[in-house]
Amino acid sequence: MNNKTASLTSVRGTGSVIQQLLNKKVLLFVTLASLIVIPIMVGDDYIYHIFITICLFAGLSTAWNIVGGYAGQLSLGHAIYYGIGAYTGMLMLNAGVSPWISMFVGAVLAAGVAVAISYPCFKLHGPFYALASIAFLEVFHVISLNWVGLTGGANGVMVPLELGWSTMVFSERLPSLVIVFGLMSLVLAVSWAIRRSKLGFQLVATRERESAARGAAIRTVHVRLYAAAISAGLTAMLGTFHGSYLTYIEPESAFNLTFSIQIVLFALVGGLGTVFGPLYGTILLVPITELARGWLGSSAIGLHGFVYGVVLILVVLFMPDGIMSIFQRYLPTSKGRHVDARDEKSTHHVPLNDVKKSERAPVGEVVLKVQHLDKHFGGLHVTNDVSFNLHKGEVLGIIGPNGAGKTTVFNMISGFLSADSGSVEVLDENGHFISPKTPGAFARSGVGRTFQIVQPFAAMTVEENIMVGAFYRFRSVEESRKVAREIAYELGLSRFLDEEARNLPIGGLKRLEVARVMAMRPRILLLDEVMAGINPADLREAIELIKIIRDSGISIIAIEHVMQAVMELSDRVIVISSGEILAQGEPEEVVKNEAVIEAYLGKEVTDASTE
Amino acid sequence: MDLLFSLVINGLMLGSLYAMVSVGLTLIFGITKVINFAHGEFMMIGMMLTYIITTYLGIHPYLTLVFVVPLLFLLGIVVQKYLIEPLKDSDEHIQIFATVGLSIAMINLVLMLAGSNNFNTPSSGLRETLGLGAATVLTGQVVIMLCSIFMVGGLHLFLTKTQMGRAIRATAQNRNAAQLMGINVSRINMVTFGIGIACVGIAAVLLSPLYPVNAQTGQSFVLIAFVIVVMGGLGSIAGAFYAALIIGLVDAFAGFYLGSSLKDVAVFGIFLLVLIFRPSGLFGNARKLAHVS
Repeated sequence: MNNKTASLTSVRGTGSVIQQLLNKKVLLFVTLASLIVIPIMVGDDYIYHIFITICLFAGLSTAWNIVGGYAGQLSLGHAIYYGIGAYTGMLMLNAGVSPWISMFVGAVLAAGVAVAISYPCFKLHGPFYALASIAFLEVFHVISLNWVGLTGGANGVMVPLELGWSTMVFSERLPSLVIVFGLMSLVLAVSWAIRRSKLGFQLVATRERESAARGAAIRTVHVRLYAAAISAGLTAMLGTFHGSYLTYIEPESAFNLTFSIQIVLFALVGGLGTVFGPLYGTILLVPITELARGWLGSSAIGLHGFVYGVVLILVVLFMPDGIMSIFQRYLPTSKGRHVDARDEKSTHHVPLNDVKKSERAPVGEVVLKVQHLDKHFGGLHVTNDVSFNLHKGEVLGIIGPNGAGKTTVFNMISGFLSADSGSVEVLDENGHFISPKTPGAFARSGVGRTFQIVQPFAAMTVEENIMVGAFYRFRSVEESRKVAREIAYELGLSRFLDEEARNLPIGGLKRLEVARVMAMRPRILLLDEVMAGINPADLREAIELIKIIRDSGISIIAIEHVMQAVMELSDRVIVISSGEILAQGEPEEVVKNEAVIEAYLGKEVTDASTE
Repeated sequence: MDLLFSLVINGLMLGSLYAMVSVGLTLIFGITKVINFAHGEFMMIGMMLTYIITTYLGIHPYLTLVFVVPLLFLLGIVVQKYLIEPLKDSDEHIQIFATVGLSIAMINLVLMLAGSNNFNTPSSGLRETLGLGAATVLTGQVVIMLCSIFMVGGLHLFLTKTQMGRAIRATAQNRNAAQLMGINVSRINMVTFGIGIACVGIAAVLLSPLYPVNAQTGQSFVLIAFVIVVMGGLGSIAGAFYAALIIGLVDAFAGFYLGSSLKDVAVFGIFLLVLIFRPSGLFGNARKLAHVS
């Protein structure tokens, strides 16, 4: 172990000069420049063609990555949008409209189709979504073959032979390279901007954990539709260009499954969900296969497909995170900068006692009214006529044996389940009682919740996790980041800020749940067993923490099994057993209640204790 | 009336052919939870093998079963062991890419070796027509129909009556619990994958005398197989059988009334409706998803 670390550091030491030079930004700049400079210097038509192909696929993969990588919707039908762009450009060019205009028409059409296709499919996940996208692609393929009046059927469409910038048809290659390079740069810029924007964070959060994202008031369907529309629009623009470049399109090549898979392959090899991964993946793979084809001659049909297939298998087996994960390891990132810039004090774990405490405000008016909630799962009556009120600044403890229906009640008062009958009313900011229906609506009305089984956005850092909550209140990334850091500091998560959530121990994850909700600054906080499974020292801290939250005027409902916490925190306790409220009142009264003891421990015990 | 009868008969013939191709796919999904995008390519390899063995040895195509089925069974085991098993804890999309990559590699390997030519396995009398009332069918089709019923029934018996079958079903329902009961789950997965691929091997042999084979043949069948497997409820063998018959009928009727080029729109249109409105299949409910047969 020691040897290994030693050798690693020595490698780091000797490589540090090179690493300084090989900064990620420098690498990106050199890469982009060489895509233009090399073909001009070589001046060979075939080299031009290879570089045009690289730019095209880099653009397509990057566009796909917005929906496939960021949003995690594994579309294998992206050729649909490419085909729409290509056909729109081709048909309008034949009608005398320049591709510079039809490009945008195609983009709008493709975006519309993407929304129409994606909307019903968002219920589908993983392989089902992939299958649906293939099926849609097949439908488009068959339609384009058979709608001869529009598409020319299997014969395809040719460009009118009119050279020049207005038709995007050239006898030389350089202008095409310039155009496709420009388009690729546009796609990269859009993808980069999305990843750093609120939308980007919300997409990744939705991909990682949909229910938690909805709990953070993210409109999960909306954000994915935006992503699908943007991705499809950009893909179509590249399709329009490519139609003019090829001068001829037909259904077989425009709506092609293998073509779709290639787009995905480059993104995977580069690194799914990274901004520049698809670019590097394309640059790595396209030349390899083109050169292999050059060496072995054009007689070797199937060769480049075979190489792609084998590469795909090798990548999933040995490098599932793609090339970018290697860069991440060996190249200095810009992330190092903001770690240094951060307030020195906040990087250390600070005991909670240092946090300023405010006086506890008196318990106020009713902020949440729960009336006659009923819920059946099949024949099981999980919640039977549950009613209670929550007051401002109050801590209401909910206890009960396992399977009593506590979490079901939580799900109904946060919008994740709808009750069969009964009502949940929340006092909104303006002092009116409203009845939200969805998790998002509950979040917007000021109800925040944690999950009993923690639901972190695993691939995001702790800071980013909390930012997702903060985005509910702030548009700007910087403001959200600031708030996220403050909250992390208050909850003792500062030292984990740049750690991916999946690496946190369970205690840390429970804090993260609370931090994410607190970033939304809820007025009513629902805590589902946040104390379970944490050690005694942390328990003390957690109890103090909840007191601080309470004292700031937030009303809390806590499901809890840890009796120390229940007794110390709760102003009132409700006992739920078999879906019914068995008892409620002051904590001390309730634990002496015979029915409660019976529900927890069985009848003999109560008999024994009364004798 | 005669037309209707003949369309129904043809649809059922086609449906039982689709059923043979699909049962292996649904079995593999039911146990290993992996959608095998390369399923069609295994069939294509099976048909190629049938062609090669039949022409070189000059034997009846059906006799190649003794070579093709064990070979594909082994191939399935190898793929499960070295490709699927190492990825069992990976993200879903990684598993999808693994079999997609396998599919592309297999298609193009055959393209490199054999080009895009069609190969016709000798029909050995299996393309002779039989009159069935108003309908005419091929003898090979009747064999396929009978075999598909035997295959579905046999798999059902195997899964419900034998020790191995019970172990397979236990694994499908709860992998961890099965492991705790002393079932070697990775061995079960290997055997299941092997059986699934062997099933498509049987289909390949029976299909070969009726259909020419080329590198792309698997693609055209596998898309239909996906439709059927999802319609029947992923993992449900009986469901796949009924769904195959339905799709066969849709295929026959749409082929007649819409024309052969547009019939795919009908098939995929139905598929999309099922995916969107009943993603757990026509016959099952969500809970059945994990269960087999």
